[in-house]
This record gives sequence, C-alpha cells and structure tokens, in this order.
Amino acid sequence: MSATKLERLRSADYKAPGGKLVRIRLKEEQGLIRSVKITGDFFLVPEESLGKLEKMLEDVPLREAELRILVDRFFRGTGAQGLGVSSDDFVKAILSAEETV
Amino acid sequence: MNLAVEEAIPRMVGEGKSPSTVRFWHNSNTIVIGCFQSAKLEVNMDACKETGTEIVRRFTGGGAVYHDSGNLNYAISLRKGHRLVPNQNLQSVFQRLSEGAVEGLRKLGVEAEFQPVNDIQVDGKKVSGAAGSIRWNSIFHHGCILVGSDLSILGKVLNVPRVKLEGKHVASVQKRVTTVRDELGRDVSTREVRDAIVGGIESCYGVRVESGVLMKEEVGLAEELYQTKYSRLEWNLEP
Repeated sequence: MSATKLERLRSADYKAPGGKLVRIRLKEEQGLIRSVKITGDFFLVPEESLGKLEKMLEDVPLREAELRILVDRFFRGTGAQGLGVSSDDFVKAILSAEETV
Repeated sequence: MNLAVEEAIPRMVGEGKSPSTVRFWHNSNTIVIGCFQSAKLEVNMDACKETGTEIVRRFTGGGAVYHDSGNLNYAISLRKGHRLVPNQNLQSVFQRLSEGAVEGLRKLGVEAEFQPVNDIQVDGKKVSGAAGSIRWNSIFHHGCILVGSDLSILGKVLNVPRVKLEGKHVASVQKRVTTVRDELGRDVSTREVRDAIVGGIESCYGVRVESGVLMKEEVGLAEELYQTKYSRLEWNLEP
C-alpha cells in the first residue's frame, strides 16, 4: 500500500477479546478513510461479505460514531455472522490504527 | 489440489449430489492460510523457500496452519439442516463437529478437549485447529491434527505477531502447540489417528462411516476449482 502526498498510511494489529487478530491497513486523507484492507484469523460468513465492508468504509470519517453506525449497518444489512470478531472489534481495530511510514 | 477437493465436496453435498462426507487427507510441507489472512504478513516467505514449503489459501476463515506428512486433516460436509447441527451458528458447528475428533483422540489416550473458538487442546496446548463455513446449502467443518509434525519448521515459517501471543505466557507459537506423538510418548501413525477419529465420529454422532473414493463429479469439480482458483497466485498470495 503506498500513499499520495495528502494520504497517510495507518496500520493496526488488534487482538479481539477471544484472541483472534484483526489487522488493519488503511489510507487516510484529511480524516477520511480512502481505502482499507482488513485481514486476520477471524471467521465471517458469508466470507465474501468482508469485501463489502471494506467498500462501505471508503470515504467514511475516521471517527468512532460514524464507524460504529456503518459497521452495525453492515452486519444488519448483510446478515453476516462473525466468530472471534464482533462489530465492536472492527470499530476498535480501525480506530487503533496508527500512522506508519 | 487438496484444497480444491476440500471445496468441491461441500458444494456437491449442498446440491444433494454427494452424501454427508468425512474426508481424511494430508499434504507435504505446506502452509495453509485462512481466507482473510494476508500471506505477506502471516508467512515468512524466505523460510518457506529454504524449507520447500508451499503456501496455499483455503476458502474458510481462521488462522494459518502448517501441514506436513505428520499432520492429519479431516473435513466434514453435511447438508444444511442436518440433524447434527440444527443450530446454524458457526460456534455451535465448531463445537459439535469437533466432538468426534475429541472423542477419537481420547480413545487413543490423549486428554483432548474442545477450546472455543476453534481449537482442540491438551493441557492448554493446541493439538488441532478447526475452521469451517456455512454456504452452498451445506455445513462444512475441517480440522488439522498435529500427529507427529515437525514443530521446528512450524516456528520458522509462520510469522506470529507479538500481540497474538500476549496473554498466553509463551514466547513462540511452537511452545503453545503439541502433537499426538508427544502426548502419547510414542510414535503414532496418521492411519492410527484416522481410525480413532472414525471411531470417535461413529460413537459420538451415532453414524456409520463407510470408506470410499471421490466420486467422478467431485473430481471434475475439484479439477475445475484447481485450475480457476487454487493453482493461482492471486488466490493464494494476495492480498
């Protein structure tokens, strides 16, 4: 992942309470998520829904309230079932992403 | 090709073309990563090259596992709505469909127990990890049992982030896993473990397991999946 002048790269390795890992690599520009890649050893069915969540997060402010609404909407809207990871974990993982060089 | 067969069977079971199936198999040196994992982050590519370890991605979530000839994989494919897993909650699926393997290991003398989310442990050490999915009108559960695997290679080829080991009071992945061989203190073959797991499945679920070979249609679908997905770098290594 490479960034333009205005973009900043952020990353996090977040451990969910059950022990599963959520790894975030995102590009942020002026407080907005430009793109995000979520990887890790959690479970989510249907598996294809993770790409949908990543897409939904594009251009969303990197703030807790907005992220929480969006991730909750993702779970409600898709009927996706997480195991080892919850809506709260995705939000916390994204918020914990720190700037990287 | 093994991972392609792994996908072909639940697809066929879900379509009602294959019966409920338990499949046993093993690979030579291979890292199998979960479908959501980043190969670049999880795997030490240089160590894989040095040790001749392949990297492949499976269609289910969960973490990376190391396969070698001392590892036994089992996979259970059931049609959705099967009496064994009426509750289509992934945690219930893992728990219920690990019970046969737990019972089999206990028959061998290994004090195994299921540990949520998806492990079978012996005295706090992992001897098997499971993964699974609910899709294609099927319930799919697979697990890999460390029978006599070379744990020294496992420690080299997997990058386990420090945060993952925190709270486990161990410094490496190698120290939090064990093998059936180490637990029994004797050499044990994957065939012996397989037979024990079959016995565990039969007694635990009240079923009869009949041996057989892959159906022609399953092989055909697996070959197609191999060509279009499992042999491709973009599936196995990206992101």
